[in-house]
Amino acid sequence: MQHYLISLLIFTPLVAACICLFLPKKFEKAFRAVALIVNVQQILWLLPMLVGFRASGMFQFVERSNWITLNLGSWGVLKAEYLVGVDGMSLPLVALSVFVLLIATISSWSIQKNVKGYFVLLLILNAAVIGSFVALDFLLFYLFFEFMLLPMFFLIAIWGGPRREYASIKFLLYTLLGSILILVVMIGLYTSVSDPVASQGGLLVHSFNLLHMMEPMNFISNTILDPNNPWQIGWFNARYWAFLLLFIGFAIKLPMVPLHTWLPDAHVEAPTPVSVILAAILLKIGGYGLLRIAYPIFPEAAMHFGMFVGIMGVLSIIYGALNAMASKDLKRLIAYSSVSHMGFVLLGAASVTEEGIAGAVYQMVSHGIISAMLFLIAGVLYDRTHDRIIDHYSGLSSKMQNFTALVLVGFFASMGLPGFSGFIAEVMVFLGSFRSNATNGVLHESLAVIATSGLILSAAYYLWTLQRMFFGPFHLKANIESDAIVDLTSREYVMLVPLAIAALCFGIFPQPMLDMIDPFAKYLTALVIDHGKAITLNP
Amino acid sequence: MNALFVICGLGIISLIAEIANFRKWLISIIVLGLLGAAALVVADWNTAVAYYHDMLVFDNFSLAFTGLIIGSSLLWFWTASDFFEALFHKTDKSALILFAIAGGVLMTSFNNMAMLFLGIEILSISLYVLAGSRKEDLGSNEAAFKYFLMGSFATGFLLFGITLVYGATGTFQINTIANYVLTHAGELPSFFYAGALLMLIGLAFKISAVPFHFWAPDVYEGSPTAVTGFMSTVVKIAAIASFFKIFATCFSTIAPVWYTILLVIMVLTLVIANITAVYQNSVKRMLAYSSVGHVGYILLAFLADHKESDGTIFFYLAAYAVSSLAAFGALILVGGKEENTLVERFNGLFKRNPIVAVGLTIALLSLAGIPPLPGFFGKYLVFAMAINNGMIPYVIVAIVTSLIGVYYYFRVIIAMYFKDAVAEPLKVSTSKEVLIVVLILITLALGIFPDFLIQLL
Amino acid sequence: MTLNLFYFLSFLAVLSALMVVFSKNPVYSVLYLIITFFTIAGHYILLDAQFLAVVHVIVYAGAIMVLFLYVIMLLNLNRESEPHKSNILKFAAVICAGLLLVVLVGSLKGTEAIVQQSGKAGIGYVKTLGEVMFKEFLLPFEITSILLLAAMVGAVMLGKSEKTNDTI
Repeated sequence: MQHYLISLLIFTPLVAACICLFLPKKFEKAFRAVALIVNVQQILWLLPMLVGFRASGMFQFVERSNWITLNLGSWGVLKAEYLVGVDGMSLPLVALSVFVLLIATISSWSIQKNVKGYFVLLLILNAAVIGSFVALDFLLFYLFFEFMLLPMFFLIAIWGGPRREYASIKFLLYTLLGSILILVVMIGLYTSVSDPVASQGGLLVHSFNLLHMMEPMNFISNTILDPNNPWQIGWFNARYWAFLLLFIGFAIKLPMVPLHTWLPDAHVEAPTPVSVILAAILLKIGGYGLLRIAYPIFPEAAMHFGMFVGIMGVLSIIYGALNAMASKDLKRLIAYSSVSHMGFVLLGAASVTEEGIAGAVYQMVSHGIISAMLFLIAGVLYDRTHDRIIDHYSGLSSKMQNFTALVLVGFFASMGLPGFSGFIAEVMVFLGSFRSNATNGVLHESLAVIATSGLILSAAYYLWTLQRMFFGPFHLKANIESDAIVDLTSREYVMLVPLAIAALCFGIFPQPMLDMIDPFAKYLTALVIDHGKAITLNP
Repeated sequence: MNALFVICGLGIISLIAEIANFRKWLISIIVLGLLGAAALVVADWNTAVAYYHDMLVFDNFSLAFTGLIIGSSLLWFWTASDFFEALFHKTDKSALILFAIAGGVLMTSFNNMAMLFLGIEILSISLYVLAGSRKEDLGSNEAAFKYFLMGSFATGFLLFGITLVYGATGTFQINTIANYVLTHAGELPSFFYAGALLMLIGLAFKISAVPFHFWAPDVYEGSPTAVTGFMSTVVKIAAIASFFKIFATCFSTIAPVWYTILLVIMVLTLVIANITAVYQNSVKRMLAYSSVGHVGYILLAFLADHKESDGTIFFYLAAYAVSSLAAFGALILVGGKEENTLVERFNGLFKRNPIVAVGLTIALLSLAGIPPLPGFFGKYLVFAMAINNGMIPYVIVAIVTSLIGVYYYFRVIIAMYFKDAVAEPLKVSTSKEVLIVVLILITLALGIFPDFLIQLL
Repeated sequence: MTLNLFYFLSFLAVLSALMVVFSKNPVYSVLYLIITFFTIAGHYILLDAQFLAVVHVIVYAGAIMVLFLYVIMLLNLNRESEPHKSNILKFAAVICAGLLLVVLVGSLKGTEAIVQQSGKAGIGYVKTLGEVMFKEFLLPFEITSILLLAAMVGAVMLGKSEKTNDTI
């Protein structure tokens, strides 16, 4: 059992989706039950992994078997493996996904339209999400990565709001563009990298293994991405281009300003549970991809473009926050705050310091928890009144005391108030980006200084929203019935309270998770800096 | 070889069925016969035998493509069963289809230009008639006539080319020609090259590569949907197999002569077909342009490495065939009796019949090249091959055109899921529902375990 | 002598082929086409292919052309009913055909005549032809029957009326 935990995590939802397909449409309760059972079961499988995980930079619970082996004659062998494993970055993210997916399933109880289709898609999405966090083979990763796209597209397109068509197509085209850029790099890497073990017999075995790609020795000489002799294309050499393509591909997903415009639209139109998954999990895959693929495989390019990545991160922080402040729709505000917070991930990654990278990973997990909570909060309100315009409400605290309390927790956590998980993450990112100039000279200190203004802006827009919506005299816009405003139901407590507790826990006791992340951050920093220097110094 | 006999025999049996009055059992007999032919192909695997003075050679290449043709035909008979429900000419239609399949098998297994010519003619003549089989429909008549004129024209070019090649080398056997070209390099008369180019033009007509594609959209649109499905799968497979065979064996050593021309054709095919497809209102016509566009990707693989690309092309064709069969199967169901395939007709299909909608969605996604469906692996292998051979600018063109492809395939998907239904629920027989599920399963299996098929060649 | 005959026949062939295209009346075109076929049959004889020449005359000039004439008369085609083609199309056609001509003439011009002694006398006799056809080219010969069968079935299918059965 211990050896197949990851496969169980991935394939249980898929099997459940197949079972659901064959159940008759009218058993609406059955679909909910199946989805819930799958989620609970996933948590049960996750626990031994969390317990059994040893803090080190190595991959654990690795499973490996042959998947595709193609002998392509004179141009070698194509080898793709089913290779999955977790390390200090992926395990927290997998845990986050399982946790958030459980909450999303509970939140999906209110879905009425075509329940069967909805839960089938949700289960497929579940498998794809976990798969992309654990895949260590580029082709496998890409497969899961793309496979996330379609369930998401349909979830927005069928169960979304009034402008769902526009939003889903925009989402699809943006992410598809991103994945095609990644595909180009994947093909390039595939032609350039050989499997050192399997190629010993004189046969050239092209490998998709990400670990092989991280090792400059494995590049075949005179291929397009060979570090010793990369092809020059235009201004940069091919490796720099490849890094940029990967960066843009993942940055669309992250999302980074100016490639973020799909996100607010998708969020506004998506139903609450889908928004939760989108914000809490899918955005993380952008950051995860950067740290898992772009940085270790193209370390010298990562160092070279570090300043650029950092500037884009700061730009996202500031621009996202300003947009959030100007938003009239509560969900749009939260969506822009996501853009702003994911900017910290970019900044942390760009610093290539231990603190920065650990902070980036911590921020991904923390933002996952907090944004899930925030979108659920928006959902609670929307369920009652079908209106999310901030100006239409005032003084809600008088009618919904408990709700307001949880909103306060959520908003303060997102602001980065000490005691909440966001604070730890953001402080670490600031430390990393500040120290970067002294240790490796990638980022300038001023970036960290400018980024702190993001904190002030986020405090501003959250407090302003609180003041407008929840405090002051109770008042609603004319067409909203005040009878609809009632406090939380028990199902909503079940969803919101665990998230609030998690945000507090990770803010007060960060050590367990930092112990998990730290070896990874150390390993990645050392790898990027060492390999980066080695490759740059080579003639 | 025996498979070919079985198929010809089945054609004659279906003619007898009209006289001997066992029309009811005909389709079952044909399906059983084709299964038998498929079994014979499997039995012949790895034997590589030449038959009748080297007229036909069934090596693994031919057997693989023959198997693909037979497999697609089997699935086609299932999708197109309504085509044989008509009041008239049931047996004639099935006989013509079977003869066309026999022609296709000849086109994959020929070793002599005479056999190539015969194969192409048998295939084409059957199809000219089938294209016009909706006699009362003006579009169908136009399709048949256009196909006939253009097809004869193309055959003329091909025949002239064969003649010139024969004049230069003194033989029709393709391996002898290849040897002759190899040993007489530099002293070949210049009309040999002219002959090769004329053959290129003739075959480009048959595989419908731009600018020799003008017949394709009209013919595809006008023909009965079932026949269009046949054209875009079986016929395309056979045409590409013969193209590959001629150019990878006979004219492989004179690659510099045709390389640039084919490169231009490839780029034109990719760009023009995919851009024109965006502007189509009829799904059938859109699929016609998309099938022209797919030829561009196959040509890209061929140009990257014309000797080693057979496995890639084979897989691409198999993926393409399964997906298009599913798409045309859905088109037959949605189009109904009047064969109306405008995009509006697909509005709200998901509500009218979810199974058909999901089947069509998966087919279109596979054609668009979205992982983990087989279309993605086909494109992936093509792009990897091209990048490996330093054709980066062309790969970029191909990637851009496949993005355009995603756009027009998604137009149909959007119509199916977002628009309000225009008609009452679509009733579909259980057999068709099973078929759709089978096609989906084949598609997924091909996508997740592609090595099984590519390894054949 | 043979050479002069060849030139004469070629001249006649090209001239009548041109007349096929240029004459306005379709019936004249067909008649010129018959002349073209006869001259080509003459070429076959010069090449020692007597059987082919005879078959050519019987099949093309005899059967097919008579069918052509018959159809033209039935349809009552004449000068007026000839569809008018746009000048651009004509221009494009002339350019394409001209280019093809240049290529063919260019490639054939530089070629030295391959003087091949036919091994056997009477290469064009029916017997020689039959030997080739039923030995080496047996399979294509048999496969041709499938081609003819397909064409026949197709002709019947397109030609047969579908309405008659309804009334019965």
